[in-house]
Amino acid sequence: MKLGAFLSCQDIERYLGEDESRVHALRGVSLEVEPGSVHAVVGPSGCGKSTLLYILGLLDHPDGGSVMLEAEAVSHLPDDELARRRNEFIGFIFQFHFLMEDFTAQENVMIPMRRLGRLPETAMRDRAAGLLEAVGLSDKLQRASRHLSGGEQQRVAIARALANDPRVVLADEPTGNLDTKNSHRAFELLKNIVQQNQMALLLVTHNPAIAEACDWIHEMMDGRIIASHARRSG
Amino acid sequence: MTPPLYIALRFLMHRKRALLLSLSGVVCGVGFFICMQAQTQGFAKYFIDSTLGSNGALVVRSRFEPRQLDSIVPTKTSNTNVAHRQYFEGITNANEIMRVSRKFSNVVSCSPVLRGTLSARSGFENATVELYGIDPALHLQTTDLAHQIAGGSLYDFRNKPDSVIVGSRLAQTLNLEVGDTVQLLAPGGQYRRFTVAAMAKSGVGTIDSTRVYGHLRVAQTLLHKPYPASLIIYKLRDPDRAPALAQHFENLFQHDAASWQEREANTLHLFLTLRLSAAITVSLVILLAGFGIFNVLTMTVLSKMKEIAILRSMGYRRRDISAIFLWQGGMIAAVGSLIGCIAGALLSWGVSKIPIHLRGLLSTDYFVVAWDWRHYVWAILLAMISVFIASYVPARRAAQLPPVATLRGSSV
Repeated sequence: MKLGAFLSCQDIERYLGEDESRVHALRGVSLEVEPGSVHAVVGPSGCGKSTLLYILGLLDHPDGGSVMLEAEAVSHLPDDELARRRNEFIGFIFQFHFLMEDFTAQENVMIPMRRLGRLPETAMRDRAAGLLEAVGLSDKLQRASRHLSGGEQQRVAIARALANDPRVVLADEPTGNLDTKNSHRAFELLKNIVQQNQMALLLVTHNPAIAEACDWIHEMMDGRIIASHARRSG
Repeated sequence: MTPPLYIALRFLMHRKRALLLSLSGVVCGVGFFICMQAQTQGFAKYFIDSTLGSNGALVVRSRFEPRQLDSIVPTKTSNTNVAHRQYFEGITNANEIMRVSRKFSNVVSCSPVLRGTLSARSGFENATVELYGIDPALHLQTTDLAHQIAGGSLYDFRNKPDSVIVGSRLAQTLNLEVGDTVQLLAPGGQYRRFTVAAMAKSGVGTIDSTRVYGHLRVAQTLLHKPYPASLIIYKLRDPDRAPALAQHFENLFQHDAASWQEREANTLHLFLTLRLSAAITVSLVILLAGFGIFNVLTMTVLSKMKEIAILRSMGYRRRDISAIFLWQGGMIAAVGSLIGCIAGALLSWGVSKIPIHLRGLLSTDYFVVAWDWRHYVWAILLAMISVFIASYVPARRAAQLPPVATLRGSSV
């Protein structure tokens, strides 16, 4: 393992389902995510991409192997501690936006900050406004999330994933529900912010264009990473 | 404001119909509980106050002597001598008993009464009455007779030995007005005339329909009693401690003593049964409100599964998720209880204004309600417990939801 990896996993095994429907979803997967790097995980549906993402995001427990966050094994930690680390170090973006419907764009971005509890109310509002401005939604701070378009919702989700200034952003097909234009725009936005802030980004995607724009591409097949390529120069 | 409380508030505010439904359940439950308790305890308290005001908190009656009886056939399980009491009617040393008992800190005052049953006649009307021969000064200190005067003058009664105070319902039976003459039939067979100086209304049917107050000395002459008092009634600082004092007086004076709790046990049990019955009935309303909240919160959990999953992915702990739903229940219970208490108080006030012509065990022209803070505390406590149980199950379910299952399910 290289020194300086924010997030890594080693020999991850994961079974899903029970009895006859039990599936060996991950078979000895190892991966490292370094600061400032952008990783794409690609592969056919059901190959274990999302499962890997949830395990790396400390939302799911591996049946074997270990997950390291800043060189510390974390898979065995109690649920509360995992929740704290998710809140502090990891930002999530999902395909279907998953905004809180009853909240405005600004309030959605403030939700992770409230849990972290480091900023007073006004500072949280200012920071949320700044993040929404960075994703081009400064005029829609008070707009209820259900009244935003799909592209706008995804940009709010990006701002929210960055709310606590995480070390790593994990995105599960973040552009899968957007048209080509919005898809490209959202990815570029995310990539720029991540690289500017020396964060790391790992995204699961089916979009070859987006995968090609990442620093690393990890190809998965039947629960294994069968190949990892660095982006072709030029 | 904690993050779970903040989120709970937003969830609640965005489900106004469900919120109103849940709130109305708690408001109705708490309000009805308070109103029912106010009524049932109101009538019970009215009865107790009336009976204490007329008959005192404690009564010392006939003298007794312990009697040892030899058992004819001794049994294995009992002693050979069985203790019994032999009672002697009346109190011969009433002044001495009153002098000693006034030294007890719980005794405010006491008054001797010579009691006897007579026949009364007024015009063509006859009735059996209970004559209470009293010392006006002492009796007014000990009872609420002064406040029970519904017509006439106590002054006239005090100053005219041949005057009486007649119970209000008895006066109706005998067609008596203040200033009229009533004849009381002495045990010797001759009638003696008395002027009605005043009428008394205690509110207790059995008292108002039978009682006549006369002067103690006149009563002694009329009833031909060899003793100066049949009973001594007591006004106590703490009527709740009457049973203990009665027991002590029995041992001390060797006279039968009865507390108001013992004297009115049957009626008090009836009121207690009514209160419990009403409490159980209305508690069901609160339980139903809890069931409604259970349904609303369960539906909320089901409709918020995606939000719960995203909160978990953002670092919210299981207990935060649980707290979000417990807070919702807590807020419904708190606001519902507050409004319910106000509604209960208004309902009780409204009920107290309803006219009712009650002439039975109690005599009253309006519904009687008791204003007791404990009714409100009990109602709130019941609502809180009910809502907590109703919220706990959905809250626990929400906390146990595996976020990955929701996220994976939504990404298909």
